[in-house]
Amino acid sequence: MSIVLDQVTKRYQGAPVVNDVSLHVGQGEFLVLLGPSGSGKSTLLRAIAGLTEIDHGRVALHGRDVTHVNSRERHVGFVFQHYALFRHMTIGENIEFALRVRKVKSADRRARRKELLKLVALEGMDDRLPAQLSGGQQQRVAVARALAHRPQVLLMDEPFGALDAKIREELRRTIRQIQRELDMTTILVTHDQEEAFALADRIGVMHQGRLLECGKPDDLYTRPATRFVSTFLGAANLLLGYRTPRGVRFSSAPMAGGEVPREVVAILRPEEVELCADELAVKSNFVSYGQVEEVLFGGAVERLRVRMAPDGPVPVAPGRDGSTDRGSLLEVSRTLPEQRDFPVAVGQRVAVGARTIHVLPTPISSFTAVAADAAAARALCDSPLLSALGARMQTRVATRIGRFERAPPGMPAIATGPGCAQAAEWHLTHGAVQLLCVPPTGPLPNHVVIHTLDAESRRATLAVAASLLRHVAAEAIYLGIQPGTSAETERGAHLRNLLDARSAALADHGLDMRTELRPGSVAEELEKELAAYERSMLVLGTSNPGAIHWDWLKSLLEGTPERAVLIVNSARAEPAADS
Amino acid sequence: MAASWFRQPSILPGFGLTLGFTTFFLSALVLLPLAALIFKTTSLTWSEFLDVVLDERALASYRLSFGAAFIAAAVNAFFGFIVAWSLVRYEFPGRRLVDALIDLPFALPTAVSGIALATVFAPTGWLGVRLQELFGIQVAYTWLGVVVALILIGLPFVVRSVQPALVEAQRDLEEAAETLGASPFTVFRRIILPAVLPALVTGFTMAFARGVGEYGSVVFISGNLPLKTEITPLLIVIKLEQFDYNGAAALGFMMLLVSFLMLLAINLVQSWSRRRYVGTGDGGRRVERRARPRNLKAGA
Repeated sequence: MSIVLDQVTKRYQGAPVVNDVSLHVGQGEFLVLLGPSGSGKSTLLRAIAGLTEIDHGRVALHGRDVTHVNSRERHVGFVFQHYALFRHMTIGENIEFALRVRKVKSADRRARRKELLKLVALEGMDDRLPAQLSGGQQQRVAVARALAHRPQVLLMDEPFGALDAKIREELRRTIRQIQRELDMTTILVTHDQEEAFALADRIGVMHQGRLLECGKPDDLYTRPATRFVSTFLGAANLLLGYRTPRGVRFSSAPMAGGEVPREVVAILRPEEVELCADELAVKSNFVSYGQVEEVLFGGAVERLRVRMAPDGPVPVAPGRDGSTDRGSLLEVSRTLPEQRDFPVAVGQRVAVGARTIHVLPTPISSFTAVAADAAAARALCDSPLLSALGARMQTRVATRIGRFERAPPGMPAIATGPGCAQAAEWHLTHGAVQLLCVPPTGPLPNHVVIHTLDAESRRATLAVAASLLRHVAAEAIYLGIQPGTSAETERGAHLRNLLDARSAALADHGLDMRTELRPGSVAEELEKELAAYERSMLVLGTSNPGAIHWDWLKSLLEGTPERAVLIVNSARAEPAADS
Repeated sequence: MAASWFRQPSILPGFGLTLGFTTFFLSALVLLPLAALIFKTTSLTWSEFLDVVLDERALASYRLSFGAAFIAAAVNAFFGFIVAWSLVRYEFPGRRLVDALIDLPFALPTAVSGIALATVFAPTGWLGVRLQELFGIQVAYTWLGVVVALILIGLPFVVRSVQPALVEAQRDLEEAAETLGASPFTVFRRIILPAVLPALVTGFTMAFARGVGEYGSVVFISGNLPLKTEITPLLIVIKLEQFDYNGAAALGFMMLLVSFLMLLAINLVQSWSRRRYVGTGDGGRRVERRARPRNLKAGA
């Protein structure tokens, strides 16, 4: 492995900007770190280069632990967005700088300089000053300079950010070529997905300090695991579906048997939508009828918006117009041959089919705020945590007032405080898979404690926790608690289980977290860990809600009403996700 | 074509008017008095002129004026750089206050700073006593006093010239040098210093020029002993008080000559650095400074 990151965390003023990132990059691999601005990708790159010290974790380059090695001894090549050429030195002097500080003989320096200038196609520019070169040429010089000392890895921080589109594309090709030629392990940071697709062997998508997913470009595009990646890489219609024995259906109409349908999040790419004149002509799976609302001609592809019938699919997040009763808007894109086969005009009624849908393995689909009256439900929806989760997960927050026979689909949310424990008990014993107890006010949590009451619920709990943590900038600790009286051998086994769970969580959900095993009573140790941080949150897993000590839960939920608690009931948890 | 050559269309109307004012004021306030000074000097014969400007007392005053100004400017170049560095690179409580204080010697009437310094550094003064006791150094009424006064006067020149250059020297450059394997000392010597040097030289020259001409703050602390602590501007005043206008003009001419040479030096340094950094204009567009939290290291 060329680059190994292990639980790298960097905080600014207490808030993690890079949060428990673990990553392996192989020899000669080109990895692109992609993310919106402020997602921590540049900070992570700087941490690899040693330009930013990290607060937690480990960085290894070619098997050498460099966590505490300063950047000049890490042997990395770094390319900055604004070139960072030494303006008082000529191009030749710039390129030779790394060799000069290493006291390389001048004949060798000259030879290397020539070789590098040839590599970046700037022969004969040795004696120019950086100011006499164009932006694209300057960045080529910066690349040559970064390669002069034959670094083991090349790190590039938005290297094309300051260039215009045409030069950008040309330089992109040059970089890819050089990287292949030298078999150079490379990490490039960008916010441009087109750039990522053009360059990467593998793309790592970062969001809010976390590395959400890392994989081959086509895998990430066709089988994303998270809402964020599915909408950040290309366009996607996120729809709420219901898993049935015969596949995913989009209508929320009640099913026979009175079973609560299991809600899932499905993505339907605009190019996977089929438009036909009527239901019978649809070659793929018919979804619903709709009306064309907007047609934009965009050269090779035509972009349309289709308003679905009111009983059609429900979007994960309500549209900007907020009117779900009018039916949802579906983004569609069609190629020229498709347009020729079936031309459409605004206002036309069309049958909509889905060629493929992909069900996200995320265990959290939507939220339903449950309260006794409308005002309380509104207040619950407006609570900082629930509104933040709804917005960041781009998901629906529905409301439900009063009593029903069964728990709502998705994740019910109830207010902490008096009566919370009773409501929690009712939901968990009436079909809720997960339950969120939300404090009506107070800041978002930045410390999440995960604990499972039994081993069976571990998998489901970690899946839910991973999904939650992708959208909350918080550090997570997975706490195992063991009665203080247990034997030493048991302790070892327990610890092994915890660590296995941790690596499983990392492999399955890309969630990395700290793991700790403590002796003592569950109630006391949890309380201690939660009280140690001002803004803590608890994720509690159980496979048997009937076995919970409700008195203890009552004190946990109602004793500190400003703390959020998420309870995962794995007795009805998600079967293994498939697409 | 000839007419439009210097009448470029401009946002400000009234080119003729503004250029007229510029020429008038420059002539009335700068060129005319200077010409009068030179004219006055020419009423002396060569030997008279040389007698005045090469007089033992005059030579001693040049030595003091230029020597003290040079030492003060050198001290300022060093400490002014450090002050500018700490103001630009670090975030600390009271930074804005310190930043404002730098300009105080600009704003203060020089006589006030002179009296203040004399009070503190006098043999009976608060600092003077201690310096005398601990190190046996007397500051007031020696050449050292002149240097101290000139350091005070010259500091803002260095700080204010170096500050923008340091702001402009991007952190990227240092980081780039660091990843290329340069030690902190090399980074300073090969990257920071060359980037800041033109500004530093400018600041040094300005502090030096100002020091040579400084009068108000010096006369209170120097003691004004002929041949020992008498500066050239003071000698001019003395000559004037003795109604020796021609002698005063001759000394004034010498100072004018030096000032002119200083100005020339500043301009040469500046044009040299402009050529060096901005380039010829073909694609040499300046990259805007990167907004990045400045206190990455300092805040820790």
